[in-house]
Amino acid sequence: MLWWLVLARLRLDATLLILALAAPSGVAGDIAYVTCQNGNTLSVLDLDSGREIARWSVPGQPAGIAVSANGEVFTVAPDSKTVRRHAHDTGAVLAEVRLDGGPMGIAHDPQRDRLFVSDWYNARTWVLDAVSLEVIGELPVGTAPAGLDLSDDGRFLAIAGRDANQVYIFEVDSLELRHQLDVGTRPFGLRFAPDGRLFVSNVGSNDVSVLDPVSGGLLATVPVGDRPYGVTFAAGRAFVSNQYEDTVSVISLDQLQHEAKIAVGEYPEGIDSTADRQTVVVTNWFENTVTLIDANTLSVIKELQTGDGPRAFGDFLLEGKT
Amino acid sequence: MRRSQFLMLSVAAGMFPAMALAHGPTRQKTKVTVVVAAEPGDVWAAIGNFQDMSWHPVVHSSTGEGANAIDATRVLTLGDADGRTISEVLYKFSDEKMSYSYRITEVEVEVLPVTNYSSHLTVKPRDGGGSLIEWRGAFYRGFPNNDPPEHLNDEAAIVAVNGVYQAGLDALVARFGAPEA
Repeated sequence: MLWWLVLARLRLDATLLILALAAPSGVAGDIAYVTCQNGNTLSVLDLDSGREIARWSVPGQPAGIAVSANGEVFTVAPDSKTVRRHAHDTGAVLAEVRLDGGPMGIAHDPQRDRLFVSDWYNARTWVLDAVSLEVIGELPVGTAPAGLDLSDDGRFLAIAGRDANQVYIFEVDSLELRHQLDVGTRPFGLRFAPDGRLFVSNVGSNDVSVLDPVSGGLLATVPVGDRPYGVTFAAGRAFVSNQYEDTVSVISLDQLQHEAKIAVGEYPEGIDSTADRQTVVVTNWFENTVTLIDANTLSVIKELQTGDGPRAFGDFLLEGKT
Repeated sequence: MRRSQFLMLSVAAGMFPAMALAHGPTRQKTKVTVVVAAEPGDVWAAIGNFQDMSWHPVVHSSTGEGANAIDATRVLTLGDADGRTISEVLYKFSDEKMSYSYRITEVEVEVLPVTNYSSHLTVKPRDGGGSLIEWRGAFYRGFPNNDPPEHLNDEAAIVAVNGVYQAGLDALVARFGAPEA
């Protein structure tokens, strides 16, 4: 190895070591892993202390994120077309692969230790081995697949086909297409609710489609704010980030009615909830912050600083360990 | 005059549909600010009308509907009377905050190499007197598909938008003067 490469490597290792030591031991709060696309970084935030405990360098303009329950962190950098597996404590890259296409969204299947990565440009979704990141299959879907999610029971995979105005539901075991469903205009983000229903945010028609993944039926279409981007669930409610409106819409899960709007930062995008489902975390892309929302009182708890251009498109929270 | 940056020449003219559904993978953002000697109210009086962009040196004329109400529209003609146009819609307006926000609804990438463009123009008081004028934008590159050509990539989009902002804000500095120290 060239001497300057060795030096650079040593310096990198030293930096990672310092960051790892700076992290408090026995962290109680959930940890947010926020991909910062414009800054080519990932901000690691301790939600309890409100501190940014590390900032990893992640080249290639990362946006997609999947944090597995066992603490593995996967990122997608669409500019360099790279998917990486990181150690959650140091950010060290444990594996990486370059996918020829437009890798975008990512979801982890903990039961089978596989990854699903949407290909924005080629109307398909890759299936990857989550350890080696080797491509083990491809699922054909509609144009511009974006958000994807697995049901909590691991049975279904849902993929939003943004420019096809459709959602695709696969059986995860067999990887067979079970339903191909028309939704609103330009579905982008989606997530399964704890009760198993699928919520899809349609950026073009400013509403949320609620689907039954078993029957394939459309249960409701709920109007929300301008340019709904992502959806998450906490305290018996759905929370939807409205990108063009700087708000989060709140939908009651039992009534499926729009309850309230909460003002957040500019260009809210990635949205997720803590493991106890009491707090919602949303990234504000333009402002370089995340907003924490109390899911019961619907008030803003605090704002935390991040790197430049936080997107966090996917599951980005890891339950804190005591 | 920075017209060359605003009216981008393109060998790829006509290659791409004006209303592409998809967009690049990375939304870009930029912010250009200047400070001027005039008080915010005076600056806002000059630039705080969505239907009047005569303060910008590249804008030849503006026609529109809806004054400063939400969803008001305007069509800017650039350069001279038969120049290229940009169509825009207003989605936030506040005299109190001295700020308005708008989106481009139609522009050819040869004119401005961006898609899904939104922008905010804001006047704020400056510590020590005068005003701070801030112009911010969020947009995707002009080329919606993978592997963009150089003149329609992320960098080209940022350079072009910065050029527009800087030209407009420089004209305001010339008009209102720079603050003392």
